[in-house]
Amino acid sequence: MSFQLATTLLASEADPVSHLVDKQLGDSPVMLSMVTMVVCAALVCYLLARAARAISTGPVSMGNKRYLPATKFGATIEVMILYLRDQMLTPVMGERLAKKYDGFLLSLFFFILMLNIVGLIPFIEVQEFIYFLRGLPFSMAEHQTNAIFGGAATASISVTAGLAIVTFVVVQVQGLRELGVKGWLEHLCGGADIVHGSVFLWLIVPIIFVVEFVGLFVKPAALAIRLFANMVAGHTLLLTLTMFGTMALKAGLGMFAVSSITVVSGVGAVLITFLEVFVALLQAFIFMFLSSVFISLMAHEEHADGHAEGAPAH
Amino acid sequence: MLLAAADPLAFNWLPFFTTIVVFGIVFFVLATVVWPKISKGLDERNQKILHEIESAEAARAAASAKQKEFEQKLTEALEQSSRMIREAKAEASRLGDEIRAKNEAELVERARRAGEEIETARRLAVSELEAHAAALAVGIAGKILQRELKPADQQRIVEESLAGMSAKR
Repeated sequence: MSFQLATTLLASEADPVSHLVDKQLGDSPVMLSMVTMVVCAALVCYLLARAARAISTGPVSMGNKRYLPATKFGATIEVMILYLRDQMLTPVMGERLAKKYDGFLLSLFFFILMLNIVGLIPFIEVQEFIYFLRGLPFSMAEHQTNAIFGGAATASISVTAGLAIVTFVVVQVQGLRELGVKGWLEHLCGGADIVHGSVFLWLIVPIIFVVEFVGLFVKPAALAIRLFANMVAGHTLLLTLTMFGTMALKAGLGMFAVSSITVVSGVGAVLITFLEVFVALLQAFIFMFLSSVFISLMAHEEHADGHAEGAPAH
Repeated sequence: MLLAAADPLAFNWLPFFTTIVVFGIVFFVLATVVWPKISKGLDERNQKILHEIESAEAARAAASAKQKEFEQKLTEALEQSSRMIREAKAEASRLGDEIRAKNEAELVERARRAGEEIETARRLAVSELEAHAAALAVGIAGKILQRELKPADQQRIVEESLAGMSAKR
């Protein structure tokens, strides 16, 4: 039976990318990433609500200990929040903007982090294995799946584009509210210095306008593609490593060779999994951090990059 | 056996909009339930830490002031004790001088009185001796004269003898 399972898995794992891509749930238009996203959303809300309960001040009867996080999980989340808010967002955005947008940016960070982490856990494989044991047809390599949950939602460009478009809207709304329509247009033309400066500067205004206008869409597109590409690359590498054993089996090698290749590639896959955990954290952070940079670029406030108070960002 | 290659860049509008909606819901829930509670907890802790630091600094300032006050009082007490010792020594010296002077005066007075008493005693002894000598003389003289002298004669002879003795002296 194990040989049958291995060969079935071999057939299914012939193409790691086809295993990775988003799939339909049976015949329905619902994609696996959508269900995963909903589950992750519920999970992130539940876990952060628990953390909030642990972080919030306890009853007076606890004495001074009421100010400490009640659980280790709460303490971990608190450390992450404090680091992101005080060491990353506030220095980049300034205190006013950080206070205004830290909720949005932290929500973005934890949501993406949850999607990335859940994507590393082989929920689909476990479900497919259960279906296999029950004698149901194996469908992982097709565009449909019997699994109802799992997979890396952030390895879908549709999902990362959705997250990027949210950031795009927030950035532009912030820009219009902060700078006004005139200031926003000045920003697209390279700032007030060019608009009110020498007439010769107007020669480069059209070029700057085109660059800035394209930049409006390139920035969120870069966000989406960076997250998507990193997740796809990492998972592809991981899947390729796990496929080596079955590929050796398929090539007709001896059991010793197959076992050796399987062990080595398995150890490699475990190590890459650790790397992927780091990448999951890093990509969530980069998405949030760049979003904060884009928001702060649309503000009057003086930042570390030298934007002066009252001058439109550029 | 490669199956038909799936396109990872294939875009699907349904997950795209689902992402926007789901993230919107997540943000709404977190913004209304989670972040305010966490912010409140962190702010309260910051306030507590600031309050504790301020209290510690106030206590340290109070302790420093108390220490200065204590040191000042200690210095004053040392000065006062030195002064009291000096005064006590001076008083003791003065009292010693007084007692010594008083004792010396008393000794002088006692010596004087002793001298007077000795002189009185000497005079009394001399007068008694004179009387006894006179009586002896009278007795001897009576024996010599073989007769009794009458008291009047006796008295006269004594006085004459005394006068004679006084003259001889």
